[in-house]
Amino acid sequence: MKALQIVKYGELKQSLAFNEVSKPTAQVNEVLIAVKAAAINPIDKSIILGNLQALLPIPLPSTSAYDVSGVVVEKGSNVSNFEIGDLVYSRVPQEQMGTLADFVAVTSEAVSKKPGNISFEEAAGLPLAALTALQSLEYANIKANDKVLIHAGSGGVGSFAIQYAKAKGAYVYTTTSTSNVDWVKKLGADRVIDYKTEDYKNIVKNADIVFDTLGKHYSAESFEVVKKGGIVVSVVGALDEESAKMFGIPDYKLPEEIANASKEKNATYKFIFMHPNGAHLNDIKSLIEDDKIKPIVDKIYPFPDAIQAFEHLATGRAKGKIVIKIS
Amino acid sequence: MKDLINKIKSSIDLTSEAEEFIYSISEEKKFSKGEVLIREGQAVKKTFFVTNGCLRSFCVDKNGKEHTLLFAIKNWWISDYIAVHTDELATLTVECLTESSVIEFNAKELDGIHARFPEFESYQRHNLERHVVSLHKRILNQLQLSAPERYDLFLQQYPDIEQHTRNFHIASYLGITQQSLSRIRVEKVKK
Repeated sequence: MKALQIVKYGELKQSLAFNEVSKPTAQVNEVLIAVKAAAINPIDKSIILGNLQALLPIPLPSTSAYDVSGVVVEKGSNVSNFEIGDLVYSRVPQEQMGTLADFVAVTSEAVSKKPGNISFEEAAGLPLAALTALQSLEYANIKANDKVLIHAGSGGVGSFAIQYAKAKGAYVYTTTSTSNVDWVKKLGADRVIDYKTEDYKNIVKNADIVFDTLGKHYSAESFEVVKKGGIVVSVVGALDEESAKMFGIPDYKLPEEIANASKEKNATYKFIFMHPNGAHLNDIKSLIEDDKIKPIVDKIYPFPDAIQAFEHLATGRAKGKIVIKIS
Repeated sequence: MKDLINKIKSSIDLTSEAEEFIYSISEEKKFSKGEVLIREGQAVKKTFFVTNGCLRSFCVDKNGKEHTLLFAIKNWWISDYIAVHTDELATLTVECLTESSVIEFNAKELDGIHARFPEFESYQRHNLERHVVSLHKRILNQLQLSAPERYDLFLQQYPDIEQHTRNFHIASYLGITQQSLSRIRVEKVKK
């Protein structure tokens, strides 16, 4: 079968190549998915560039990407929740990375039936970003009437998080640049802050939850707008001590500015590492089918143009997901 | 099962032998929400009479989107009749939208019942005629009525269905987007 593989670390064009690889088969707990569409995410680009070698060591060559939608064509003997012919979507676990191929074998626990009211391409764009947003906001125990600040509302995670927070009945602040203000409003955000003309720190006060999708100085700064006893959840900022332990870094200390800022507000800082989860994807399926959340696709590329899709991803200008149609 | 037998008895004189035969080719079954009775791509041998609950038949287009052909509630029949009558593989999927009770029939034996019991000939023809009428109405409505008119007719046909279905099931039956369906509902409330 055809697969787009990472053959070395470095520049996108030189590091990616289409290879003929052997078709996988479903192990006892797996389903084999005939891939209809795959989506790419910033992490895929970081892996190719070699930025994550220490954290996520992968053997080269490896097939790229985690997000997928398709049809179950084979299932292992222990799989009871799927049948051949089911239309599914998944964010595949790390060890099964490689959705830019004709087939991918995935542990059934990471798979869900796909929402029936959207296309394969739309479904492929959901899992990673949607799981990241859902797991972050659920960790923060989001509930109706919470005041929530979501940094970077037009990003893949941010645009989903706005819709998820609204579906939960929260009041949503979000930041974006001037050209995206109207677009982000349409996603349901209550107060869109144009960071080119406004300072969010003057507008947001006493937020119950800040969702940090930017990292850098934004993580510590977020405590200026969170309420006493509130929570800042981050998916790109510094690790917290508990997560560091999980990654096998025992003597890790939270950066001082974050530690001080969180202490001052008696607020929590938590780094969220998205984990694949079929049950969560099933919750997302319901929200999509009830029209509470809309998938957002920036552009769909045919499989032979997948390298161009990565170059588009690298510009950082995509509004919504970049999807590759496989078959 | 009694309901169905009574329904048949109201149209024809059912001999005890024929009644016995009906029992022999059928089986009462319960299914939970989400269970699939007929799956696209598989051979179809069964047809179902609904005694309780709500089911739907739908197809999936090449983009992966679902289109609902039919909802079946109490006293309706449901199957993939294209597959049953042509011996092709199923193009439709039939799933339970709620916990449902059905009487499952071997479709071929049910179809051939009039060969053994001629009294069924007129009964089956009558059912088939009603089925053709309802299909033609569905096609004509789709061609000539506006979306709000189609929604009104749909509610007359399936009065309690909105408790059992998701918006997208109804939208995909009417051939409109969920957003259009929401707009139509808002307009109805205003009236």
